[in-house]
Amino acid sequence: MSVAKKPTRRDFMKTTGAAFGVPYVITSAALGNSERPAASDRIVMGGIGIGNMGRGDQGAFLGRKDVQYVALSDVREEVRDKSKANIDRHYNNGDCKSYNDFRELLARTDIDAVHIATPDHWHAIMVIEACRNGKDVYCQKPETLTLREGPLMIAAARRYGRVVSGGSQRVLEDYRKYVAPAWAGEFGKIKSINVNVGPLPQLCNLPGETKSEAIDWDLWLGPAPWAPYNPKRCSGSFSINGASWRSFSDYSGGGMTDWGAHHFGGATFICDVRDQQPVEVDYFDNSDEKYLAYRYQNGLTIYHNKPRTDQLLIEGTPGEKLAPKPVPGYKGEGGIYGDFIECVKTREKPFRDIESAVNTAALAHLGNIAYQLKRSLKWDSVKQEFVGDAEANRMTDRARREPWQL
Amino acid sequence: MLETAFEALKTFDWGSDLAALAPIEDAATASHGKPEARQDLENRLIAALKGTLTRDAQDYICRKLANVGTAAAVPTLAGLLLNKGNSHMSRFALEQIPAPEAAAALRDALPKVSGDLKVGVISSIGARRDRSAVAALSGLLADSDASVARAATLALGAIGSVESAAALQTALRTAGDRRSTMIDAVLSCAESLLASNQVADASSIYKAFTHESQPRIVRLAATRGLLACATKPSVRSV
Repeated sequence: MSVAKKPTRRDFMKTTGAAFGVPYVITSAALGNSERPAASDRIVMGGIGIGNMGRGDQGAFLGRKDVQYVALSDVREEVRDKSKANIDRHYNNGDCKSYNDFRELLARTDIDAVHIATPDHWHAIMVIEACRNGKDVYCQKPETLTLREGPLMIAAARRYGRVVSGGSQRVLEDYRKYVAPAWAGEFGKIKSINVNVGPLPQLCNLPGETKSEAIDWDLWLGPAPWAPYNPKRCSGSFSINGASWRSFSDYSGGGMTDWGAHHFGGATFICDVRDQQPVEVDYFDNSDEKYLAYRYQNGLTIYHNKPRTDQLLIEGTPGEKLAPKPVPGYKGEGGIYGDFIECVKTREKPFRDIESAVNTAALAHLGNIAYQLKRSLKWDSVKQEFVGDAEANRMTDRARREPWQL
Repeated sequence: MLETAFEALKTFDWGSDLAALAPIEDAATASHGKPEARQDLENRLIAALKGTLTRDAQDYICRKLANVGTAAAVPTLAGLLLNKGNSHMSRFALEQIPAPEAAAALRDALPKVSGDLKVGVISSIGARRDRSAVAALSGLLADSDASVARAATLALGAIGSVESAAALQTALRTAGDRRSTMIDAVLSCAESLLASNQVADASSIYKAFTHESQPRIVRLAATRGLLACATKPSVRSV
């Protein structure tokens, strides 16, 4: 039996609000039931990078009735095989396709949205390519590896009207006890807030080892400088102290970006500056105590690792109370994943829209550069360049290994 | 200390202790605003790079030259640009050295490399937004190597000038299956032009893509672009 049907959610997505396409035909097997939307109303998804975080993200999307998970990509054979088996078991079929090369997945025209949880050095290339291919994207944090990448990712998302969400669930969920009074105006005008996070990324010079796993090493490295295989170099563990890629500057901004995505994200949410970047980064070096002060146009200071200062310690204006503002939250059901899916359906901006995610990551990158140069910096967030500091401007990006290009 | 670090560099390889090179890191930071010290450091790096080193040591020097290199380092880096094992890290430095000689070295390398190395050189030219390279890149838009043609397309999009947009629009007429990448690059040019308040130029590009013969995703992108143009003060005042 075949059924001609009226325009669906997917039609709406394809048109992003413009004229609807002609009705099309689907099979009865895809019609769904009272508990599950028809296939034409499900969001067809794929995942890229199915390691630790990717596996968790996949599980969250796979568990949703309004998602049909059809494809995955990972450079590790074992990960691919296990992940495909998991998805096929979930749907009780063998339909999930697995790819070594993410470009094959992104080229599929039947996929509406992808989640990306590769190491950070891949994020910009994949997000931009996904947008070019008309996909919506949920990208794990930290969304960027360099300052230059952020605006290019935002531009690609806006150019094609894509929903692109960053991936820190903690920004909304972990800091409620600060967010609620801050947005209720109880602190008055917030003068400063402190973020304790680190360490900085380090150069990796681990020796080459015989491969202990079936991995496409050249594709794992991708745009990063060539280096010999070492299991610690590419480990997806949560270490930020030398035992995983999160520690190393070729693939990550270190703890500054890794946990900074959460804590800086929380601080900027509390202070309602998620839509901004700082204009100055002041570097303080008092013997063994090094710390930063990010200065915002509105007078706010976000400290980084201010000595003897608690995490997210807020300095408000005593005796002053501001008018309360409604606190933004997730749309739909199911936390940050539900927020993304709901926005894919409605074409609204998600809570952690790529622009606020980029602004958060920029804090960490600016900090890493200030610490590395050991000096204060002025930042023009419109031009995306340091003011009067050509040397710092050299650190806003890095050449990508051929053949990878933004 | 610096002497010792450069001595360590001679045998530096994967697995070596990076702490041995810390004085070089320190010198790079400490020489900021001290031209003589900076020049001394650069001279040492260049001299070391000319010697017999492991790839790891060469890569390390290129990383440092990305931070402190000047026109003086360009000839040595340009030589490495043509080697498969060194080309990327040579670009790592050349892409960041602000001297026009670095841009020229990348342009000069274009006819000397092929395949992935050519793609890499093109991508660095694009990242530098080198307007002097528009003509050379335009000549690669129909290259028989599809990856080279794609790289040139994206680089012209990154340059984002009126000239690069014009070259892309001309090439679009015969783009075939390269069309979608080329349109993406033209739209990228329009965004750059709009950002630099060249609203009429941006608007003209967007209008060309609103025709119903264009794919829907392109029409929508062009429509969004036109709306963005309409919000620019210079358009309202026209």
